[in-house]
Amino acid sequence: MSSDLLNIAASGVRAARAGLDVTSQNIANAATEGYVRRTLRQSEVALAGGYGRVGDLSLSGVRIDGLQRNADMFRQAEVRRTGGDAARAASELNTWQNVEAALEQARVFPALTQFENALQRLATDPVDPSLRTAVLEDARTLTRTFGIAANGLDTVAAGLQFDAAAGVGQVNLFAGQLAQLNVQLARATPGSSDQVSLLDRRDALLANLSDYADISASFAADQTVTVRIGGSAGPVMVSGNSAGTLSSTTAPDGTISFALGASPVTLSSGTLAAAQQGLVMVRDTRISLDTVADALIATANGAQATGVALDGTPGQPMFSGSGAAGIALALTSGSQLATAPAGAPASSRDPANLVAMRAAFDTADISGQASGLLFQVASATQGRKLTSEALDSIASGAKLALDSQAGVNLDEEAVNLVRFQQAFQASSKAIQVASDMFDTLLAIR
Amino acid sequence: MTSVSTSAFYERSNQDLATLRARATALQGSISSGQRLTTGSDDPVAAARMRTLSRADSTAAIDQAVAARATSDLTLTDQALSAFADSLIRVQELATQAANGVLTASQRAGIATEIEQIHGELIRLANTRDGAGHALFGGNTSGAAYTIGAGGVPTYAGTATASDLPLGDGQSVTRGLTGPEFLNFNINGSPTDLFAVVKTLADALRGAVADPAQAARDAMGSLDTGLETITTQQTVVGARLNWIDLNTERQTQMGQLRAEEEAEVGGTDIALAVSQLQQTMTVLEASQASFARLASLSLFEMLR
Repeated sequence: MSSDLLNIAASGVRAARAGLDVTSQNIANAATEGYVRRTLRQSEVALAGGYGRVGDLSLSGVRIDGLQRNADMFRQAEVRRTGGDAARAASELNTWQNVEAALEQARVFPALTQFENALQRLATDPVDPSLRTAVLEDARTLTRTFGIAANGLDTVAAGLQFDAAAGVGQVNLFAGQLAQLNVQLARATPGSSDQVSLLDRRDALLANLSDYADISASFAADQTVTVRIGGSAGPVMVSGNSAGTLSSTTAPDGTISFALGASPVTLSSGTLAAAQQGLVMVRDTRISLDTVADALIATANGAQATGVALDGTPGQPMFSGSGAAGIALALTSGSQLATAPAGAPASSRDPANLVAMRAAFDTADISGQASGLLFQVASATQGRKLTSEALDSIASGAKLALDSQAGVNLDEEAVNLVRFQQAFQASSKAIQVASDMFDTLLAIR
Repeated sequence: MTSVSTSAFYERSNQDLATLRARATALQGSISSGQRLTTGSDDPVAAARMRTLSRADSTAAIDQAVAARATSDLTLTDQALSAFADSLIRVQELATQAANGVLTASQRAGIATEIEQIHGELIRLANTRDGAGHALFGGNTSGAAYTIGAGGVPTYAGTATASDLPLGDGQSVTRGLTGPEFLNFNINGSPTDLFAVVKTLADALRGAVADPAQAARDAMGSLDTGLETITTQQTVVGARLNWIDLNTERQTQMGQLRAEEEAEVGGTDIALAVSQLQQTMTVLEASQASFARLASLSLFEMLR
């Protein structure tokens, strides 16, 4: 029947037209972040033969079933997981590098060496006022370098706390958007262009969320998502149209903890986890730095107490305060340095107590402690660098794998364009054939 | 399906080119600075070694300054001891003249005047100051080594010993001599000092004893002992100067070894770095060229 032929050809033209639309949509979005390549799902329309019409030909063309999104759930989950790990490692490395810079650029170690050298130089002439002043000024420089280092660590901690607060805000924003998206997804028709673009947004939001915290997502039949934060055993953050609120609490020592409502959340990946771990590490480094400063204070003050100053009076403490941030020079004049042993007269050139002081510094090995702290931070940074590089290459591998599978290949789309164009032309030809046949039949006289 | 999406192709090319460029930049940085390490985390062990080496370098600079100071103090001591010896030899000559029995009392008084002058000179020499203005022979005192008591008798006011100066690596040297170390000696088992011997001789020549010529002959022995003590101590000073030289030489050698190690641990191996840079640049250029070729290869260009 020529009217059937006309119908079949018309459905073919519609399908080819839809195919061209989808292809040009793919080409247009070739560089869109998070866009997943669509393909047209279509199926043949043919009636099954009925009673007494077994041998009949009843063909009715083609039907457009809907759009198919070529997303691989497993690869998407991999991208989320590895991306969260890489983000945590990169952020952690950044923190370590900042801590390393804070300690190295404060130049505590060179200042310590300079101070000890000034003491040694003073041994040549313990009553020389300029050499005494040099020791005092080097001691002052030393206290300032400790202050700069402590200040640098404070800045790193403040930056991390700011990052964590901003990250918590972002996580709550994304969770709220996901809850809204769930409502829309529940209403969307499967295979519609509406649904596939919602799915793109859903997957992009999940990927964004996993950069901040480790999440576990599970999908319902209607494509709505349930998100747990802090791994698969963590509390539910997004379920249906409701989203929980993540909050952070800062402890007195500067470290932070997270909670969703009333239940505590333990994060192991994402930048929030990195901020949390970074703050613990900054606190520990701070304690080590304070230990070095306290050792310096105790050693110098102890040595001062066993000697007498230039005027023959007992030596006074050299440093006051405690810790890297609190250390301050207590002596006001170089003549207060106790170079002579107890009982020596005024203006004594006897360097016995100076020798004892230098021996005490050697025994306490303060420069060794400072060098050890620097070494510890440097090797930790180096370790994090390797971890970060490894996790980064794993994450980019996973992303490339997903992109290869879900992204747009322009060559392939060019072929599709030609194919659908040819199909369009062929179906148009079929319409013309149907028309010719109809004319032929009408021309019978 | 092994097809690569267009965005994946661009992303991969981007990553590869960025990695190569970062490596080239790092190599260029290490060549231009001459330092292999920019932060401690580049190589923590090498950085710790570099810290120790640079600490040793700056400590060695102080050690050298201390050694220079000790050398100057000891050289001053040596010169003062020579002056003591010269004066003493002159006293010996005068004593020899005075021992001659034919001299008149006024001639002896003339000799006594010269010896008294030398006595005063010896006291002034004993109060010589060092480079920093402290008593050279006073040990650790910062005042004068000898104070002049009643009747012009000098009394030692310094400390018993001179202190040691550190020369680095646990070595040290005694910075000088105290007055009593080279001016006091024993005559026939009883302690005396050079000032007393010279003063006694001058007084004797002025007629304090019945036989001045005999007193002059007696003084010759004491003066010999005094000169001997001084020359002995001069030998000690010379030995200390040698010891400082030895230490300075050792410090110089250690400094060279440290510089070599610093270059080895923290310096850039220019030849290696340049060849690595060349290699990286070659790969980078090849990658850029192949990227340009592949990127221009689009099916849309072919379909007309």
